[in-house]
Amino acid sequence: MFDRLKNAIARRAAELGVTEYEIYYSSNSSSAAETLGHEISSLTSSTSGGICFRCAVDGKMGYASTQLMDEAEMAELVDRALENGRYTEKEDTVGIFPGAEKYGKTNAPEYVPLTAEDIRRAALELQEANYAVSDKVREGTQSQVETTETVVRIVNSHGLDLSNKVGLNVAVSVAVVEDKGESQDDYTFCEYGKKSAREMAEEAVNSALEKIGATVPPTGKYNIVFDAKQMRTMLSVFADAFSAKTAQAGMSRLAGKEGEKIASDIINITDDPMREGFSIQTYFDAEGVPAYKKDVVKNGVLMTLLHNRETAAVAGCETTGNASKAGYSAPIGVSTYAFCIEAGENTKDELMALAGDGIYITEVKGLHAGANSVTGDFSIESAGFMIEEGKKTYPIKSFTVAGNFFDMLRDVSALSNEVDVGFSGYGAPDLLVRDMSVAGK
Amino acid sequence: MIEKRLLEEVLGIAVSTGADFAEVYSEQTRNGSIRHLNGKIEAIGDNMVCGVGIRAFVGTKTVYASTSDVTREGLIKCAKSVAAAVGEGFNVQSIRLTERIFPNVHPVKIVPSGADMGYKCDLLKAACSAAREYDERVVQAAGNLITVDHSILIANTEGLLTTDRHIRSRMAVQVTAADGGEMQSGVCSPGRGMGLETFELFDPKDIGITAAKQALTNLTASYCPAGKMTVAIENGFGGVIFHEACGHSLEATSVGTGTSQMCGKLGQQVASTKVTAIDDGTIPGAWGSVNIDDEGNETRRNVLIENGILKSYMVDRLGSRRMGLPMTGNSRRQDYTFEPTSRMTNTFIANGEDKNEDIIASIEYGLYAKSMGGGSVNPLTGAFNFAVSEGYIVRNGKICEAVRGASLIGTGAEILMNIDMVGQNLATGQGMCGSSSGSVPTDVGQPLIRVSEITVGGKE
Repeated sequence: MFDRLKNAIARRAAELGVTEYEIYYSSNSSSAAETLGHEISSLTSSTSGGICFRCAVDGKMGYASTQLMDEAEMAELVDRALENGRYTEKEDTVGIFPGAEKYGKTNAPEYVPLTAEDIRRAALELQEANYAVSDKVREGTQSQVETTETVVRIVNSHGLDLSNKVGLNVAVSVAVVEDKGESQDDYTFCEYGKKSAREMAEEAVNSALEKIGATVPPTGKYNIVFDAKQMRTMLSVFADAFSAKTAQAGMSRLAGKEGEKIASDIINITDDPMREGFSIQTYFDAEGVPAYKKDVVKNGVLMTLLHNRETAAVAGCETTGNASKAGYSAPIGVSTYAFCIEAGENTKDELMALAGDGIYITEVKGLHAGANSVTGDFSIESAGFMIEEGKKTYPIKSFTVAGNFFDMLRDVSALSNEVDVGFSGYGAPDLLVRDMSVAGK
Repeated sequence: MIEKRLLEEVLGIAVSTGADFAEVYSEQTRNGSIRHLNGKIEAIGDNMVCGVGIRAFVGTKTVYASTSDVTREGLIKCAKSVAAAVGEGFNVQSIRLTERIFPNVHPVKIVPSGADMGYKCDLLKAACSAAREYDERVVQAAGNLITVDHSILIANTEGLLTTDRHIRSRMAVQVTAADGGEMQSGVCSPGRGMGLETFELFDPKDIGITAAKQALTNLTASYCPAGKMTVAIENGFGGVIFHEACGHSLEATSVGTGTSQMCGKLGQQVASTKVTAIDDGTIPGAWGSVNIDDEGNETRRNVLIENGILKSYMVDRLGSRRMGLPMTGNSRRQDYTFEPTSRMTNTFIANGEDKNEDIIASIEYGLYAKSMGGGSVNPLTGAFNFAVSEGYIVRNGKICEAVRGASLIGTGAEILMNIDMVGQNLATGQGMCGSSSGSVPTDVGQPLIRVSEITVGGKE
């Protein structure tokens, strides 16, 4: 099918004298089973694909996209991209990438798609495991297992033809518990098979049970230990500051800081499209440039911002292979791969001990609103546990922790020795920061 | 659009293995986007979203399959996959569809997808230029003009066959202001369920200047103090407080699965008697309005809370089966790849009887939240948060210095009871609400309200 569409595009491009263009194709297929009570409540499956055509028009770049996969639509796609390009004002200085001699190799763990029957069985097994952990598990508890496969292919007028397939089996469990007249929930989310159903259920159910009876801490300054999962969520919000595109638009506090100290000595941040053990890998970026591992922050020094070919041309440096598209139809931007604050030297228990008295944050919410990636400021709803005399104690909730992400990078006191990388591609260890503002009662 | 006979065949296949109901949702959407950055039109995109979703019910169990292959073969394959997931055997049912045409209450003057591209670019440029020219400390005005032209077809085994076309337009300008090492941002992003005549209602220059003023206010603001305070929340997007603190907990998505704090509370007092809250998908041209919901039901005005008493949930077809309550025209989805569920449309707290000036004058020490960002909620516990994008300290009944970086948190049950004054300047703000059926446009709204006590998250 793809060849037929590609040829239709090539014919129309030739008719209109368009000589420099790219076809970016992406398709996804997925199926999932979800439970409620002791039964499968929902089965879903989806197949979809889209094509983005972009071409050089009078020194500008024109884009058009579609999911309608027929030849007439392909001809229209070329016409629309030309029209869009003509009204674009930004000069395009880099054109379409001709291709590189050498590309790296992905090494993602092997993906064996789950069958429809596997998915149902696994979802039910996980659900039953939740009920088996505690008799306090109640209505509303849900488990879901999903298999998903995404293919990206880039073909361009220079003869470049690259494709990459990413497959993933995922299991999610949301446990709802009731105890002492109070309801709470928590979840676990991992690659299917990495943890047993029982391990996942115990994590979700016990985390929910631990929250029962939480109190509101007094307003004040606290030493804070961010759990690794919360820290990587924070990192995901502020990662855009490391984009040269954002910096060149005057919207990043890291603009012009390459080579400068921006963080504590113990902070190392890497960006790796082929991170060991990480399933979502690629060997090329959204322009077809080879993707590779790089140090972004080393011992607290900002080594580089992340570039596509255009931002690199503006800065007078080489692209870092970080061109991205937020979906097939989006224009070329800049994004990260597996973007991780690397591990430190302390165990989690040592981090608690170093905190002495403080707060261990195991939940942050509403970051899309409560954190500003331009300024670094955040004030976010949180939940977690008090730390007393270096030990995690009773649960707390309904408080905010506030600060500035960039200040926090400088003020980090210690990091734990394990990095937790999420499917979103962000990773971090647990992290200790002293004297942060907490609003509670 | 798909032929009626093919739809009948597809539905017949979908219920051939024991499903008691099936539905086809077909979509063709032209999304347009223009982005402005660094004083220039940076990129123009347009995307044709096209696909079909087929859903079958067996009691309260559902099977949903979607595909972007809208050929006859693609649809039959999709329907067969639904039937195979439902059960065994193959007894194709005969379905007869009767077309129904609902009234269009959202007329459009200038359809964006066909409008002159130069004109659209000029609208956005006017907004961004106004922001840049407003003050020399404005270092960036990033603008987006988003237009959506969304045509849907819904057919189901109850015989319904209907179509609708929904158009919306929105402009968002994000301004960055800098002074020395300090950098702050401001946003203004109005939209309507209308064509480009939206920008006759909202002058693009005003959009840019509003965003610029907010960024400049924050540039000179100090960090907000932390702790419990009395807070006055301004109209418009301030209504996000009801959306998060209560609205999501009234959706059948959570009520029907027993995961809402509002379960079993119909007829009970859940808010202060000052609070009347409404979800209304029928408001002509509003951002969250649609003629019909994504299951083919006419939208309507649902009084959710009246003088503090819970009157109604928002119920979709699955929720209706789970809860034994009628559907309320609230079923929505981002696109055909999502199974629809109960969602808000235009949700707001109605005008009250307090005078706005009395509300501010009543506060000895507190926060005036003039402009709000988004937020989130856990419907099970009711714990919610939302961000203040422009705030001021109130002292002795007077609005004083600006503060930044504040957020408000609490639980729905507590906050609804603490709304002790409701003003008279109802206005709405536009948002994209995310939930299990994707991101959908919703209006939030309220007049100025006073919350007697709420936790303010700040840095000082």
